[in-house]
Amino acid sequence: MRAETRGRPGKGGLGVGRVWLLALRDLRLEVRDRAGVLSALTFLAVMLFVMALALGPEEGALRRAAPGVLWVALAFLATLLSTRAFALEVEDATLDDLLLTPGGKEWVYFGKLLFQMLLLLPLSALALFLAAGLFYLPLEKALTLFLTLALGGLGYASVATFYAGLLARLRGREVLLPLLLFSLVVPVVLAGVRATVGLLEGFPVAEVASWWQLLLVFDLVYLTAGALLFPLVMEG
Amino acid sequence: MLRLEAVSKRFGRDWVLKDLTFTLARGEVVALLGPNGSGKTTLLKLMAGLLKPTRGRVVREGRALFLPNPPAFHRHLTAREHLLYDLAFHGREGDWQGALARYGLPEDLPLAAFSSGMKKRLALARLELLSPDLWLLDEPETALDTEGRELLLKALGKGRKGGGVVLATHDRALAEEAADRVLWLGAA
Repeated sequence: MRAETRGRPGKGGLGVGRVWLLALRDLRLEVRDRAGVLSALTFLAVMLFVMALALGPEEGALRRAAPGVLWVALAFLATLLSTRAFALEVEDATLDDLLLTPGGKEWVYFGKLLFQMLLLLPLSALALFLAAGLFYLPLEKALTLFLTLALGGLGYASVATFYAGLLARLRGREVLLPLLLFSLVVPVVLAGVRATVGLLEGFPVAEVASWWQLLLVFDLVYLTAGALLFPLVMEG
Repeated sequence: MLRLEAVSKRFGRDWVLKDLTFTLARGEVVALLGPNGSGKTTLLKLMAGLLKPTRGRVVREGRALFLPNPPAFHRHLTAREHLLYDLAFHGREGDWQGALARYGLPEDLPLAAFSSGMKKRLALARLELLSPDLWLLDEPETALDTEGRELLLKALGKGRKGGGVVLATHDRALAEEAADRVLWLGAA
């Protein structure tokens, strides 16, 4: 009860070049389509302004809420972008074509993940600067805050990419994705929020670094698991 | 080249294919004929490895490519961009400019502006460039004009030389003209 391929198996291996090419192609498609980027930007701006208006104008309250607001923004942005990564294939019915390329399918996973990170990182930086203005965040800590968002974003996107691929062919995928995703990424969000709080409250570097280490561990675990399982779930 | 051993496929409770055994020899062109819903597209997808059989086994030699009907392309890319990405993803090099010229297609027009016939021509040009061992074509004649049909017949000749071709069609004339034999599919 299985399909076998014998003889010339095609070019195997991960193919870093193909990963980059897929990510850049998706970026080109996204820029020309504009739907995903525009909805992400709109969501980000509306969410930060509404939260700032609701929680302000007292500086202390805004500062205390900032880590939570930033991570809610990051979580929704990453979920939205992971949906877009496969919507590009589903809308044009090209997913089968991609899956018929020679070699393993891990490169598709990494390509889609890279595409998301290429959008998520600039959007995270934008979120950080908007939040700095609206929530009184100290800009001198922008680099370490960005590092925290990047580490958390990678872990989050690793799982989101896997599930977005798994659900790509299903109706109601936009509803199912958050349900499956949020339970698994709780550790990443918790560690990210704690590291962000630590940075903003001026905790010792060692304490913040321990959260970063935890984020790094989750990133590696989720990346490895995602890359190993992705080819299995994309088959027939 | 391709062997199906007692392959069955079920979607939910409905059997689309039951106990199908089939062999495609190297250099052979086989046409699948049958009414709508007889399982032609499902069979092509099973052959390509895009679907797993519920029962039985599919054994393929070499690379297979599946041409769906209608062909699937990213509408925001141009023909040139699409072919260049495809070649890179498949780790191949080829004369994409020559292929586009042979099929009478513009290089820099977004595919959203392509007609159905132009997309079908581009799909054939793409197959020719990627030169898979096994060509699996779903109603390749649809939307093609007389000249396009001639190009299709030439492309099928190249597919035959490359390894083998299985095409699903409703066009008996095409099946008789291009195929070495016909596989009839009825209700499962």
